[in-house]
Amino acid sequence: MVLELQKPRPVWQIMFSTHHTDVGLLYLIMSIAFLFMGGALALLIRAELFFPGAQMIADSMTFNRIFTVHGTTLIFLFLLPSASAVGNYFVPIMVRYKDMAYPKLNAIAFWMIPPGGALIWLGFADFTWYATPPYSIISAPGPAADMWIFGLKILGISSVLGAINFIVTILKCKHPDMSIGQVPLLAWSFLSSSLIVLVAIPTFAAALLMLLTDRLGVTGFFNPAMGGDPIAYAHLFWFTFHPEVYVLVIPAIGMMYEIIPRFSRKPIFSKSSGIFAFVLLAIVSFSSWAHHMYATGMSFTEKTVFMIGTLAAVPASGMHVFNFVATMWNGRIKFLTPMMWSIGGIALFFSAGAGGVANAAMPLDFTTHDTYWVVGHFHLFVMGTIAFGTIGFIYYMFPYVTGRMYNENMGKIHFILSFIGTILVFFTQHVLGLYGMPRRIFDYPAIPEWVAMNQIATVGAMIIGVSMIIFLINLIHSSAKGKPADIHDPFGLGGKYYYPFESKNPHH
Amino acid sequence: MRNLLGLFLVLAILVIIPTVDHAFAAGDEPGEYLDRRVLIWNLFFRMMTVAFTVGAVVSGTMIWLCWRFRESHPKATPTEYERSGDFGGSA
Repeated sequence: MVLELQKPRPVWQIMFSTHHTDVGLLYLIMSIAFLFMGGALALLIRAELFFPGAQMIADSMTFNRIFTVHGTTLIFLFLLPSASAVGNYFVPIMVRYKDMAYPKLNAIAFWMIPPGGALIWLGFADFTWYATPPYSIISAPGPAADMWIFGLKILGISSVLGAINFIVTILKCKHPDMSIGQVPLLAWSFLSSSLIVLVAIPTFAAALLMLLTDRLGVTGFFNPAMGGDPIAYAHLFWFTFHPEVYVLVIPAIGMMYEIIPRFSRKPIFSKSSGIFAFVLLAIVSFSSWAHHMYATGMSFTEKTVFMIGTLAAVPASGMHVFNFVATMWNGRIKFLTPMMWSIGGIALFFSAGAGGVANAAMPLDFTTHDTYWVVGHFHLFVMGTIAFGTIGFIYYMFPYVTGRMYNENMGKIHFILSFIGTILVFFTQHVLGLYGMPRRIFDYPAIPEWVAMNQIATVGAMIIGVSMIIFLINLIHSSAKGKPADIHDPFGLGGKYYYPFESKNPHH
Repeated sequence: MRNLLGLFLVLAILVIIPTVDHAFAAGDEPGEYLDRRVLIWNLFFRMMTVAFTVGAVVSGTMIWLCWRFRESHPKATPTEYERSGDFGGSA
């Protein structure tokens, strides 16, 4: 058996390898490390907000620094790399190619992430993950702000390199006998999201450069004092980062497409509609960026256009949910940890989507703009859907990577606690937003409803924190001392286990 | 696939035409004034009614599915694909 962790190899051999499973493993370990670092900051934020007034964080600027790095870490250093981990592991195997199209480029794309992450963590900027201008230009303290800008620049280049590799691997390196329609849905999800990255990221790269030159005083693109316009930055930023939501969510749905049919013991209900929905989502992801900016004085017609553009994502998302439900129908479902995470992810995806429909409608958007409703909504997506899909898949690929089984009971406890915690935190934050609590605040008045709901959210966050510690213990303990997995059918489903184990590419 | 495309096209037309119509309906001529604020709230309430109805149906269906088609359900029988041992998945 060729196993990454079970077969002892010097660490440096994995670290400097260009083999796709080695790079995938590096992505996985690094993204999990950043999950815990970003998660620790989230717990700190929630602990601070347990009571009104300063609790454990000295001042508002420190608080701003913490949530800036929390957001940046979990989006760019956990969610994106964890998707890359899965893609690196499985895309070449799925398209039956020996490696990624450009193995060295693949390794370079990975090794750009640690310096990018180090710049973000060592700088600890305070201007939110949106780098809010004109504050970020005029008075955000350097070198933290500059380090953040350079860090994001490096991470953006890494994303583009990774996207090019996925696109070329899938389109040009797939086995000659395999038509594009035969490419598995997980690989299709990476193709769709990589195309979005290629179109979206260059815009933000330009915006970052403009932000930097504005900070240096050379230009005034976003500086009102020099004739610039911060709203222009908002357009550039959201043109990249609304589609970026789909860059994150599409692979997570692709992972669910791997898990749900196998644990339902049925093929996927309609593969072609899954492909269609991925492509449709990739296209409509660019039609909704300005819904983040209804309150900036846009014309009614513009707002209507972006409202329709946002709602255009609903049919495609609905197709995925229908596909999952129809696949489970008449199946014989085995509720093991990966399946529980996937079903939990679909349920929360649906809740988050319903909140999105409400957000897209401008009347409610004005009421909820910059309130905790928004925080609850996007966290329900990133945690409830994307992280749930990803964590479920980490459990799913665990036997393939390590040759050992994780502890099933611990996995289920992890899921149950996370599901409860996620609902407690993020559903409550929706209501908190409707009660008018603004987001990104260090202190708040002692309104009884606000205090109670903040405390519920904090308790929920602590429950998630406990569940993640169980996850970590399970991963470390099981990868070293877990029961050896039946590598051909580790989940006892009675059929073949995703891809024939022998299909694993030999190391080079 | 063709049916799905057709269905999507019909749904898109049904949603987009009335919405765009509302957006541009307010003419400049006297007597053609349209209160867009009222219209948009109306649209919002209709959308939320649809969202909550569909949400309740889908959530209820998923809960029932998980209960009815679980492995341990007394009426659970092997699927036809289990005999071949190939669940396909997304492959």
